[in-house]
Amino acid sequence: MSSFFAERWEQILSASWQHFSLVVQCLILATVIAILLAALCYRSRGLTSLANNVSAIGLTIPSFALIGLLIIPFGFGVVPAVIVVVFFAVLPILRNAVVGLAGVDASTIEAARGIGMSRAKTFFRVELPLAWPVILAGMRVSAQMTMGIAAVAAYVLGPGLGSYIFSGLSRLGGANSLESVAVGVIAVVILAQILDAALLIIGRLTTSRGIRV
Amino acid sequence: MSTASDSAALDTGRRQWTGLIVQPIVILLALGAVALWISNADLTDTERVTLSVSYLWGLTLEHLKLTVVAAVIVLVLAIPLGILLTRGPFRRYTTPVMAIANIGQSAPAIGLVVLFAFWLGFGFEATVVALILYAFLPVLGNTIVGLRGVDGRLIEAGRGMGMSAAAVLFKIELPLALPVMLAGIRTALVLLVGTATLGAFIDGGGLGLLITTGVNLALDKVLITGSLLVALLALTIDWIARLFEQVARPRGL
Amino acid sequence: MSENTDKSSTGAAILIENVTKRYGGGKKPAVDQLTLEIPAGQIVMFVGPSGCGKTTTLKMINRLIEPTEGRLIINGEDVTDINGDKLRRKIGYVIQAGGLLPHLTVAANIGLVPKMLGWDKSRIAERVDELLDLVSLDADTYRDRYPKELSGGQQQRVGVARALAADPPVLLMDEPFGAVDPITRQRLQDELINIQAELHKTIVCVTHDFDEAVKLGDWIAVFDEGARIVQYDTPEQILANPANEFVENFIGSGAGLKQLNFARVKDVDMRPGVIGRPEQKPAEVLELVTLAERRNAVILDQRDRPLAWLSREQLKRMTELPKTRDENLPLVSTGSTLNDALDSMLQASTGSAIVVGNRDQFQGLISVETVMNAIRELRENASRQQAPVGNNTGEIPRVNGHGDDAAEDEAGAGSHAAVRTGRHAAPGDQAPSAGGSAAEPASASAEPETTSGTPWAGTRPEQGSSAADGTPSGGAAENPDRPEGRP
Repeated sequence: MSSFFAERWEQILSASWQHFSLVVQCLILATVIAILLAALCYRSRGLTSLANNVSAIGLTIPSFALIGLLIIPFGFGVVPAVIVVVFFAVLPILRNAVVGLAGVDASTIEAARGIGMSRAKTFFRVELPLAWPVILAGMRVSAQMTMGIAAVAAYVLGPGLGSYIFSGLSRLGGANSLESVAVGVIAVVILAQILDAALLIIGRLTTSRGIRV
Repeated sequence: MSTASDSAALDTGRRQWTGLIVQPIVILLALGAVALWISNADLTDTERVTLSVSYLWGLTLEHLKLTVVAAVIVLVLAIPLGILLTRGPFRRYTTPVMAIANIGQSAPAIGLVVLFAFWLGFGFEATVVALILYAFLPVLGNTIVGLRGVDGRLIEAGRGMGMSAAAVLFKIELPLALPVMLAGIRTALVLLVGTATLGAFIDGGGLGLLITTGVNLALDKVLITGSLLVALLALTIDWIARLFEQVARPRGL
Repeated sequence: MSENTDKSSTGAAILIENVTKRYGGGKKPAVDQLTLEIPAGQIVMFVGPSGCGKTTTLKMINRLIEPTEGRLIINGEDVTDINGDKLRRKIGYVIQAGGLLPHLTVAANIGLVPKMLGWDKSRIAERVDELLDLVSLDADTYRDRYPKELSGGQQQRVGVARALAADPPVLLMDEPFGAVDPITRQRLQDELINIQAELHKTIVCVTHDFDEAVKLGDWIAVFDEGARIVQYDTPEQILANPANEFVENFIGSGAGLKQLNFARVKDVDMRPGVIGRPEQKPAEVLELVTLAERRNAVILDQRDRPLAWLSREQLKRMTELPKTRDENLPLVSTGSTLNDALDSMLQASTGSAIVVGNRDQFQGLISVETVMNAIRELRENASRQQAPVGNNTGEIPRVNGHGDDAAEDEAGAGSHAAVRTGRHAAPGDQAPSAGGSAAEPASASAEPETTSGTPWAGTRPEQGSSAADGTPSGGAAENPDRPEGRP
């Protein structure tokens, strides 16, 4: 194990970095998409429940099934991997963003409008900051989930640590096959913890002290 | 109790039921569409064998077997553990156990499946064990959260009436925690259906086989059918679990 | 009074003997060597600042909290070491907001304890209806409802009904009316007084509201930190002679007006009303009203519960008398204090109110003038303004009762306890510490009435309900002497 790691640590680090950067970039993209969708939905009851249903049903779809479906139009490569990861990353954030935005006290919004804030300004200065902790909680759920999904996405030759797992599987019983899988799994777990900690810290730094728990 | 909150509660209740009726209809329609498409498609011999009703049905049953066996074992292990971790002296282990479970949950499912194949050999067993590990946390976590969420004053009221600790657990705590626990069980079931797909990589059987076969042999129709069937199966299980949640939820909550 | 009295078990005396509760390490005890007697069939109110140990003391009576040291004796039986669950099934327990189990119907909630005690179904169902009736809820309407379908006040009523389900001799209440609005609270308090007049339970009730303590309590125990008893006496005595500044501060201002809090509606003269029945013609009733030279008529249902209160003008306009209850009737109960009655009248701006007794039965009418007269009388007689606890008053003033030093007090209370429990309990039941204190004759004599006091613990079973009656007029000659409270 240690020799396996010592011999390949540069490759492992680079795969880890690929994995991490795939997840982080997809997470950022997903957050933007989710907040946009939530902003469109949260003030209508019908659209809110639509968003919630889409999120709930989307999350029941197995990631591997979606990957399979995406191979046909997009072939193998980075594109289907990114689509799958973003798709699943959007769902928890969307759900939380709708809940968070809808949960902002109506009287607070009225007060903001009352002192002359525009609709957009109210959204960015009042509603979004107040809903931010809830949105961030959704991002943490997404982050952890997509770390694993990104590993499955290696099946379509996406970048990252999943390739260590699949190569170990294909060489089962062969030299270093177990080490390869173990490295893949452990590295993903470590990356997930790092990303989670990073999101926690970002949460501390970006959440108004007035609403910190 | 204001009438406004009553009607709001009634309203959400009604919407839940509407969702419960719409979901199976959509699933059936989608299933019909898949069937129609396969029966009209131009199939090669291999595809015809792979997409025969009996073969698909067999794979579905395998998939369900993986899911159900893992689910039963998870329930039998995780719920008692959750109860134990909310009892007096064991409460201090809750945080470390949950922390470990949370870290474990971030392990990629595909990795777990493969690792257990190394240990237990290819097949059903390794898949089930990996599935159990993967679905354990939602059930355990929600059992703990649900039990902790029970209003302490109600527990005290029960004790004050002379209920034994066991009576308080079974008559007050578990019924009141049930909605949260059921939500966790549903999450676990959906995870299980999805993750069981990965069993195809280690000869665990199930509908995932259609996807791997489709990819390996470049059979697009098999690939699409497999993906859709897995998704529909997941939605069906989700629907059954929702239905059960709705029915089993104690009235009065 | 209904047939209930005969079959229901009346209160049992409670003795908290040298009880200490320590949490965790060796910090300051939450309850410090408390000895407290709760006389049978009476209401004792625990008041004190938050964190003073009053709730802890209450919860040690049913051993929800186990005492670290000391004994607990109920009805002469040492219950310190018996099975706690079995003990609690025999003690009613009411908490804030009722503590109803939300997943069970009203009937199932009330039937919980009887079910645990193995009653059969029909007996439980019968009992549930009886209790709903007792707490003024219509059984047919409310039996199958869930708690969330009830108002706060109704939930609290069901909470009381549940606590009474197995007819326990003792009722413990932990801030029972803290979660409801003031008007509902007053109603619930009145009902509790009525229920108590009927059932004579031993009730121990924790409250942070001194007015509530004055209104409900036969006795009030004022606690300070560590459950130290600062004063334990009748409401009248505490208002008239607060033991020290702490108690004075606790009473707050307006002690004089607070005395309106223990003059009750049933103590003043009620006027009879003109009564109509829903099946009568409005014209008939109008004629009665005119004949009697009155302005209004009260419409009662078959069980004499008021449905409506109609003026001559209203009667003239009507073609049919109402058959359902007008929820806005200005009702006061016979157990209400004059203070409450005044409140109700002012709120309804009617200048008078309908008085109801047990189970909402119509008793008469009370007007602002009546109350004003009573207030005047109270003022004039302020010097001999005495004791709702009736005959007790003669024995109550005790000069040396307050300000004894702690050691003497403790020993005195111990000997006191020994005398009393001795009548009921086997000698072996006594706590060693109490026995030890009892051996000190000097301190025992420091409590003059200990020796002269009626040994109520021994005579209680024969006395029946009359002596247990803690109501103003009903006290019998052998009324219990002053209960002891010593930290």
